[in-house]
Order: sequence, then structure tokens, then C-alpha cells
Amino acid sequence: MDRQSQEKLSEVGEFISEYSSHMIGCGVHTSRVIRSAKRIADTFGYVVNINVYQKTIILTVLNPISHEHYSEVKDIPNLPISFEHNSRLSALSWETYDKHLDLSTLRERYKQIISAPSVHSFFVLILVGIANASFCQLFGGDALSMGIVFSATITGLFLKQQMTAAGINHYIVFIVSAFVASLCASTALIFDTTSEIALATSVLYLVPGVPLINGVIDVVEGYVLTGFARLVKASLLIVCIATGLSFTLLLVKDNLL
Amino acid sequence: MMVFNILTDGFFAALAAIGFGAISDPPLKAFRFIALLAAVGHACRYCLMNFLDFDISSGSLVGAAIIGFGSLWLGKRVRTPMTVLYIPALLPMIPGKFAYNMVFSQIMYLQSLDIPAQRAIYMEMFFSNTMVTCTVVFMLAVGATLPMFIFPKRAYSLTRQKL
Repeated sequence: MDRQSQEKLSEVGEFISEYSSHMIGCGVHTSRVIRSAKRIADTFGYVVNINVYQKTIILTVLNPISHEHYSEVKDIPNLPISFEHNSRLSALSWETYDKHLDLSTLRERYKQIISAPSVHSFFVLILVGIANASFCQLFGGDALSMGIVFSATITGLFLKQQMTAAGINHYIVFIVSAFVASLCASTALIFDTTSEIALATSVLYLVPGVPLINGVIDVVEGYVLTGFARLVKASLLIVCIATGLSFTLLLVKDNLL
Repeated sequence: MMVFNILTDGFFAALAAIGFGAISDPPLKAFRFIALLAAVGHACRYCLMNFLDFDISSGSLVGAAIIGFGSLWLGKRVRTPMTVLYIPALLPMIPGKFAYNMVFSQIMYLQSLDIPAQRAIYMEMFFSNTMVTCTVVFMLAVGATLPMFIFPKRAYSLTRQKL
């Protein structure tokens, strides 16, 4: 059967560009995005080639029979990292491939996935607080330090959520949240407790683990440019965390020595 | 006591992984596997470092590789890519104490520029802590991604439904 005649090249191209830019935007490493996009194009009998940059993607969808092609440069949206979207969109590409979904069904499923509600921010706040307190324990902190880290993390993360929602530059968000969280944790200095460990762990909830690992994966898989772009971004965020922490350390250093 | 310590280590690592995972909005059904992988990986590093005299970087490499292979195995069950399981599970192994000392020694170095003896101490402290932090983070990334390169076919089709 002539699969190409079923769906228009431009419509498939538009969908694929939307799909892949969304995937890149929510923190999926480059090779997975390209594989998933190729899988979808293959289902409709087309061939897609994608070039990924840090801010845009360029793609060409080709009809191998009529030699028509569709090209698009698409901005990568600035989305929060979402593992849910990562796994469900990957699964969607396999479903399309295995069950030969048509384009309208595919669009519908895609919309369903991206509009599904994410974990509630209050729930995240509590979980991250507990996580950072456990982290404190892993480094040898006592129960009092754990309590202080818990409250410091909640304060810092709440501030981060609010500032991100207000659309403030994310480097500033990271500096301020690291500063506030470590400042709250520095109250540990008043008590007879493992205050250094409390200070050290209070900012760790900010560590950009996803871009760091994705950067390494990209570099190793040959997408050196995007990999380095991710690593540079992650390093800048780490520098921001260090800067926020430094402000606190400068304030309290005499008590630490 | 020894068993208790290992179990506590695993338990807190699991709690930490669940929380850090929650920031990145993982699928709900993936949480239990993230917790399991983090607990096993971290407890394994704890054992290697405390009982077999491994240093922190090789311990982290082994721990991360276990998490990586575990995510390859468990990813198929929840139909989720490896990264979704192993990134949160790796986070409890991040050498936070060394990273903190790195920042601390840098500040103290800049504060004691006029005192050569102290300056040398902070410079040494900065380099050794930076070395450990960077090596461990690199080892974590390498260890966990290794299975993806050894078994690419399985790693790339984890989200595929069995037909």
C-alpha cells in the first residue's frame, strides 16, 4: 500500500517538528529524540533528518518516492524537565510504529500526553525536603541537622518555584535559592550539631543532574556540540549554586572556622 | 550492626532518590524502581568503601554501573527509558560534601591571600576536593550509561509494548 498518499508530507513534518522540539525541551537526550522522530516518519513512509542545536532544531522530511521534501527550523521551547513526557512520548513513537496509528490519532495522543497534569508542587516540596534531609543523614548528619536541612530545603525550593513561575532569569533563581537555603541551614551553627554537613547538603536539591548526564550521553554518542551545550549550561547552574552558597559562607565563615 | 548500617544507608538513599526524582516529574509507577535502584546502588558503594577499601570514585563507578544495569532490566517492566530510572537513582551518590569543601576552600583561599601558610592549605584543599568531585560525577555518568552502549538494542526499545 502506498503509505505516503495517506498523510500529507507537510502535516507529518509539522507534527514531527512539534514532537521533537517538545522532547528536547523537556530534557530528553539527543539520540533518543532523533530515533523517535525517525520511527514516526518511517511509519508514514517518509524519511526525516534532524539537526539539533541548543536553541533550535532544523529538520527535513523527505518523500523517497516523489522526492518532495518539507523543511522547518523550530525553536526549542523552554519547558521544565519531565520524565513523564520523556517516557510517554518515546512509547508513543513505538506505538505509532507498531500499530500504524494515523496522524489524527497520533496528534490526539500527543495532546493528551503533554496536557496531562504533573505532580503537584506542594507534594514535590515535601518530597524534596525529605530527600535532602536523607541526604544529610547519608553524609553523617544528626537528627537536628536533618530537621534544619528539611526546613531550609522547603524554603529554598518554594522560593525557586515561585520565582520560576514569575519568569525570573533562571541563573538568578538558582543564586537566590541557593543563598536562601544555605542561609536557613546556617542556623545550625547556633546549635551543637553537624552544622557543616547541614550547610553542605542544603543546596544539593538544586544540582542539575539531568543536563549533566544528558550532556555526557550526547558527547559519547557523537552529538558533541549539543552535549557540550548541555554541559556548559549545567556548569553555569553549578557555578550559580556555588555563588549563592558563597554569600552565606562569607557571612558565617568566622563561626565555621 | 553492620547489616543495620547497610540497610539504613540504602533506606535513606531511596528516600533521597524519590525526592530528587519528584523534581523532574517521573511517571508514578517508576517511583518504586527508582527507590530500589538508588538503595541497591548506594548500599553497594557503602559496602565497597567500608569493607573492601574501595576509594570513592571506583566505588561510585561500580554503584553507578549496578544502577545502570538495573535500569536496563527494570525499564522494560514500566516501559520507561533508562535515563528516567537512573538519573534520580544516581543523585544520592553525588559527592555533596566534597563539592561544598571545594566552594568553601575557594572562598577561604581568596580571604587569606596575604597569609602564605593558610593560602597553601586552602589551595591544596581546593584541588583535592575539586579532583574528587569531578572524578566522582564523571564516574557516575560513565557507570550508568555504560549498559546503554553495551546493549543498545534493548536500551533503545524499552518503551516498546510487547506485541
